[in-house]
Amino acid sequence: MDFQLTEEHELIRNMVKEFVEEHIKPIAAEIDANHRFPSESIAPMAELGLFGFTLPEQYGGNESDSLSYVIASEEIAKVSASHVMILGAQCTLTTPILLKWAHPDIVADLVPSMISGEKLGAFALTEPGAGCDAAAQQTTAVRDGDNYIINGSKIFITNAEQSEVFIVFAMTDKSKGVKGISAFVVERSKTEGFRVGPPEHKMGMHGSHTSEVFLKNCVVPAKNLLGQEGEGFKIAMATLDAGRIGVASMAVGIAQGAMDEALAYIKERVQFGKPIASNQGIQWRVADLATKLEAARLMTYRAAAMKDSGQRFTRESAMAKLYATEVAMEVTTQCVQLMGGLGYTKAFSVERLMCEAKITEIFEGTNEIQRIVIAKHVLG
Amino acid sequence: MPNIIVCYKWVMDDQDIKVNPSTLELTTAGAKYKISEYDKNALEIGVQLKEAHGGSLQVLSFGGANLKNSLKDILSRGADAAFWLADAAADNADAVATAKVLAAAVKKMDPADLILCGDGSADLYSQQVAQRLAVLLDLPVIDNVESLRYENGAWIASRQLRDCVETVSVAGPAVISVLPGIAKARIPGMKQILAAGKKPQNALSLADLGMTADDVQSATKTLSVKGASQQRKNVVIKETSAEASVAALMAALKADGVL
Ligand SMILES: Cc1cc2nc3c(=O)[nH]c(=O)nc-3n(C[C@H](O)[C@H](O)[C@H](O)COP(=O)(O)OP(=O)(O)OC[C@H]3O[C@@H](n4cnc5c(N)ncnc54)[C@H](O)[C@@H]3O)c2cc1C
Repeated sequence: MDFQLTEEHELIRNMVKEFVEEHIKPIAAEIDANHRFPSESIAPMAELGLFGFTLPEQYGGNESDSLSYVIASEEIAKVSASHVMILGAQCTLTTPILLKWAHPDIVADLVPSMISGEKLGAFALTEPGAGCDAAAQQTTAVRDGDNYIINGSKIFITNAEQSEVFIVFAMTDKSKGVKGISAFVVERSKTEGFRVGPPEHKMGMHGSHTSEVFLKNCVVPAKNLLGQEGEGFKIAMATLDAGRIGVASMAVGIAQGAMDEALAYIKERVQFGKPIASNQGIQWRVADLATKLEAARLMTYRAAAMKDSGQRFTRESAMAKLYATEVAMEVTTQCVQLMGGLGYTKAFSVERLMCEAKITEIFEGTNEIQRIVIAKHVLG
Repeated sequence: MPNIIVCYKWVMDDQDIKVNPSTLELTTAGAKYKISEYDKNALEIGVQLKEAHGGSLQVLSFGGANLKNSLKDILSRGADAAFWLADAAADNADAVATAKVLAAAVKKMDPADLILCGDGSADLYSQQVAQRLAVLLDLPVIDNVESLRYENGAWIASRQLRDCVETVSVAGPAVISVLPGIAKARIPGMKQILAAGKKPQNALSLADLGMTADDVQSATKTLSVKGASQQRKNVVIKETSAEASVAALMAALKADGVL
């Protein structure tokens, strides 16, 4: 068993750190305060290859492993999880689906422009009536000659506002239940009747907009069906298996970002004539947080390594997501506490990181859903 | 199309070096290493010249046992191939010893039209390697260079001097040391990082250069290395009037020999 990252992994970490320092740190608090999507970050992210993880060179990808993605996601999340929302939507939720399930013409057409950042992608599964129960899809797709006609609406869709390429799930055969769900790629600019609503007002993650999507008699070429009719739910679940490793890595980064800030603070802040960090009560808390964070990181890296080695990783990615996101919530909450009143203000990042941590417990399968998945594997 | 060699040093990351506040001893245990910052700027101008004019770009380093760890990093930043000589003799090498090894190595490499060095290394910062290297190779040297072009086979360099900028040109091979502002080092992307391991890494030994450790003697002797410290005197002048305060301050500065 070898717990060593490769030289390449270390270089990737350094590369992303340098990038974050130069491009993201200066805007991280501002985009959040102004609820602004950081469109200026897309081109430099693409240039460094951050949208090409694990994807074939043929389309401009870099054929790295998933662990490389995890490292990049972690480093960016330390400073701005909103940026990881872009990374995650692109690298884990949309481009890989196209590559694996889309018609070859669509792959050749869209995958290169997604890796180059020219087009952004969004994953549209959740509906007002289909949250945790994703199988309760109300959106319908009806075959009409060479097309499908899609009707329905989606809710809470990350980056819908800026995206061109939507993976949309819809019922093609209600009588078959879960097996009646199909997945489509919908190109927004080519689709009449496709509309994106205004952004939701959220607790955090304000640099990434979350919107409703409305599909009214949208005509989508039959070629845009992903896989076969009825394979939609399978595609969604397989995608979320991998996406959860991404959410876990985001959570690890958020937690580490908060720890870094709080540790520096408590070593400097003097009360009762000595730094806060010299109190044993504080030290024990720090030790617990650091230990949990390390465990969360190891679980996340392991799930990624299992994916890279071609093993089944549903159980491990659900465990990593569950644990890492709960650790992120605990660590960020405690870091606010460690920094006292200042921690609760926007003078530092921990307050923002705490709001970012909360969503990691909810999306890509709430932690209750992760527990259901894990229990299924544990109980057999 | 010019052949360019960029020299670089693999140094301890100064952020990992701790100074004991009472003894001023340095603790370097566990320190990570990195490419000396100014050498990244030298490499970047080399990459830009290559992008503009073609030719080749090779990097060269003399360092200690862990120099191998620098190769993928430096190769991800745009060099075609690396030549590296790892030997314990590098650990205490000053500019004299370093220049001697680099000069011998350069002679083993393809003939260079330009040898680039950073202004100084992040650790010792003696600012002498380029000049000494030029002497040993019998080449012209231009230092303090803030901008550099290649035109009709000549290097045209602007030197930042104390109160003026001097532009000089040299036809044919030269050693040039550059200031950090010459070119902002770009961040290597995923493709560059993943391709770095596939580029040629040519290991050299002192024996390959016909040298022994005895040939790599430093001209200087390090007696001790200590952290710098600044002590504040915390003198507070509290006279009743501004005039009296100024007079007291002047007197104190004179007594200290500052004025
Ligand atoms: C910022 C943000 C971004 C998002 N991005 C996307 C996106 O890009 N694409 C997309 O498709 N969706 C996205 N979502 C939607 C997200 O995945 C859903 O909100 C999530 O799956 C939960 O669904 P719900 O909100 O309907 O909660 P509900 O399903 O109503 O659940 C409410 C609560 O009940 C619990 N619960 C439900 N069922 C059970 C059960 N059987 N046992 C125990 N507890 C249960 C849940 O865990 C939760 O705590 C996003 C959401 C947010 C907030």
